[in-house]
Amino acid sequence: MIFWYNMNMNQSQFKKFVDFLIKNNQVIAPQNSPTGQLLIGPIFESKDLVWDSHLPLDSWKWYVIPPEQKMFDYDREKLNEVIPAIKPQILLGVSILDLQAITLLNQVFEKDIYFQEVKKRTMVIGSSFVPDENFYEFFDKFEEDKLEHLQFDIFLAVQKKGYKVFTGTEDGQRLLDKFGYDNYQHIEYAGPIREQGLDPQMVAIKNAMANPKNKSKFDKIWQDLGQRCMQCGKCTIACPVCFCFRMFDQANLEPGQGSRNRCWDSCFYNDFTQTANVAPELPKHYELKTTAEKIYFWYEHHFVRTPQSFSTPGCVGCNRCTRTCPAEIDIRKTIKDILDA
Amino acid sequence: MINEYQTYNCKILNIKNEGSDSKTFILELPYKEFYFTAGQYVMASLPGFGEAAISVSSALDEEKFIELTIRRVGSLTEKIHQLNKGDYLGVRGPYGNGFPLKIAQNKNILIVAGGIGIEPVRPIILDALKNTQKYKSVTIFYGAKDESAVVYANECSKWNKVCDFNLILEKTNDKKVNQGMITALFDLKNVPKDAIAYMCGPPVMYKFVVQKMLEQGFSPDNIYISFERHMDCAQGICQHCAVGPYYVCQDGPVFGYSQIKDASWLKII
Repeated sequence: MIFWYNMNMNQSQFKKFVDFLIKNNQVIAPQNSPTGQLLIGPIFESKDLVWDSHLPLDSWKWYVIPPEQKMFDYDREKLNEVIPAIKPQILLGVSILDLQAITLLNQVFEKDIYFQEVKKRTMVIGSSFVPDENFYEFFDKFEEDKLEHLQFDIFLAVQKKGYKVFTGTEDGQRLLDKFGYDNYQHIEYAGPIREQGLDPQMVAIKNAMANPKNKSKFDKIWQDLGQRCMQCGKCTIACPVCFCFRMFDQANLEPGQGSRNRCWDSCFYNDFTQTANVAPELPKHYELKTTAEKIYFWYEHHFVRTPQSFSTPGCVGCNRCTRTCPAEIDIRKTIKDILDA
Repeated sequence: MINEYQTYNCKILNIKNEGSDSKTFILELPYKEFYFTAGQYVMASLPGFGEAAISVSSALDEEKFIELTIRRVGSLTEKIHQLNKGDYLGVRGPYGNGFPLKIAQNKNILIVAGGIGIEPVRPIILDALKNTQKYKSVTIFYGAKDESAVVYANECSKWNKVCDFNLILEKTNDKKVNQGMITALFDLKNVPKDAIAYMCGPPVMYKFVVQKMLEQGFSPDNIYISFERHMDCAQGICQHCAVGPYYVCQDGPVFGYSQIKDASWLKII
C-alpha cells in the first residue's frame, strides 16, 4: 500500500505542477467565467483552475480546429500555403470524454497539414473525471486499461489521495522530467479499436439507425424533433466532435490577392447542401429541405458515418448539445427512442 | 507532409464551346502521374472564386492533357468561362470512385445521361470507340433541354458509328429528333437486355429512370449512378456531400443503386 501511495502525485505536488505549467507555457484550462459559466480558456493562476468532474460548456475543439483558419494566401493563380501561427499550448484538465473527442479528431484530421501543425504545438493533459451527464457507457467507470485507446501526453488518474500519473507520449515524459517528477507509467496508444471489438453501444445505435424496418417509427421521432428544433446550430458549436467546415476565398485590397480559408460550418444552415441549378439565374437545389431532414443528417453523421469511417463512436456522451439546446432536445432521449424503435 | 488542399495550376491548351452555356477546357496534366477512372472528378479552382467538383471527361488513356467540360451555373464557373487559351486553371485530384468498367466487359452497356451529366460518362464512350470488341454493345440515352444545351454535339455522329446513340430534347422544332423527357426513350427505343447501366444527370431524373429500368428487368445490382453534391474538402471530412452513411466525394460519386436505395431514413433517390 505504501508503495502505491508513493507512486501518486499528491495535491501539493499537483499544485506545484500546475504553477510550473503556467509559468512556462500558454495553458488552456476550464475556469469559471465572470457570468458563472464553466468555460475553457487561457489560465494565468493555478487558483483559477476548475479541476473536478464538471464539464465545461464549450469544448477543446476551439483550440485544435480554430473556428476560422487561413489555408493559403493567393496572388493571382498562385496559392501559397499558410502554416498556422499558433503558440505552443497545453490543454490542461481534459476529461476522459473529451480525450475521446480529441482522439477522434486526431484520426479525422490525420492527413490534414493545418490540424497536424496545431497538434505538434499542443500538449494534452487529461484527467479521469467522468462528468455526471455522461451517457457513453464505456466511460461509466474509469479503468486504467481503457487508457491505451486514448491519445494524450499526460494523464492524471484520480485516486483516493492524489493522482496516479501516466504518460502517452515522449513529450509528456519530457515535460514531467523537466518538472522533476518521474513516478509515471507510460502507456503506448493501441489504436481506437479495443481487444473486445467494436464498441457495443456504438454498434447498437448504428444498426438501429440503418435498419430500414425502423422507417415508420423514425418518421415520428424525426418529424417530432423537426418541429421542435429551431435550426440555431448551437449543438454543432457545443459538440466536441462536430468538425464540419466550409471553405471560402476572401479578396484583399491588392489586385489579384487574398486568401483561401476555412471555417466551422453547421449542417443546420440552409446553404449547407446547396447545389447549383442548370443555369445561374435558376433557384439553387437544397438536398436537406426540412428541419427533420437536417436533424437526422446531424445524428447520421455522429452515429452512422463516423462509426463507419473510423470504427469509433462519433458521439462521446458529453451531453453538451442537450445543455445548449434552446428547444430542450435531449440527445439521451433521442438515443433511447432510436434503440426502442 | 503533402497539403491535400494545394491545387496544381494547369495551363489551358485549348477551349471548345459546347452549346450555348458550356465549354470544354483542354488542360496540361496537373502532374506526371495523373491517372483517373471514368466518373472520377477533380476540384477545379480559381483563387478568389473558390472550388467546384468537375468530372474528368477525357479519354482514359490520354497521357498529354485532361479535359474538363464546365457549364456556366454560378460565379466560379462564370469566371472560368472568361479564361482564355494560355491562362491557368487550378486542379486538385482526381478524387472518388468512378464507374466500375471491368464488370461490363463483353456485356451490354446502357448509358443514361441528362444535360451536363454526359461529361463523366464520355470516357466510357471514348473507350468503347477505341476498343470496339471490349463491350458487347453500347447504347446511349442522352437527354437535354434543347439543341443549345447539347454537349459534345460535334462528336455524336462519331459515337453513333459504334454505339446506339439516342438523343431526346425537352424542346425542339426538329421533327427528326425525339421530343420529351429521357424516360420516353425507354418506350421508344431498343433497351438492351442484361445490361450494365451507367447514369448521370440532374437528381430529379434518377427516380424516374431507375423506375423505368426496374420495370424493364434491370437488376438493381447492375445500375450505377453518379451523384452531384456540393463539396468543399473532397476528402470525406467536411460533411457537405454526405448521403446516408456515405460521402459522395470519397465513397462516390458513383454508387450502385443496391448500395444506396435503403441506406438512410433520408431519401437518397
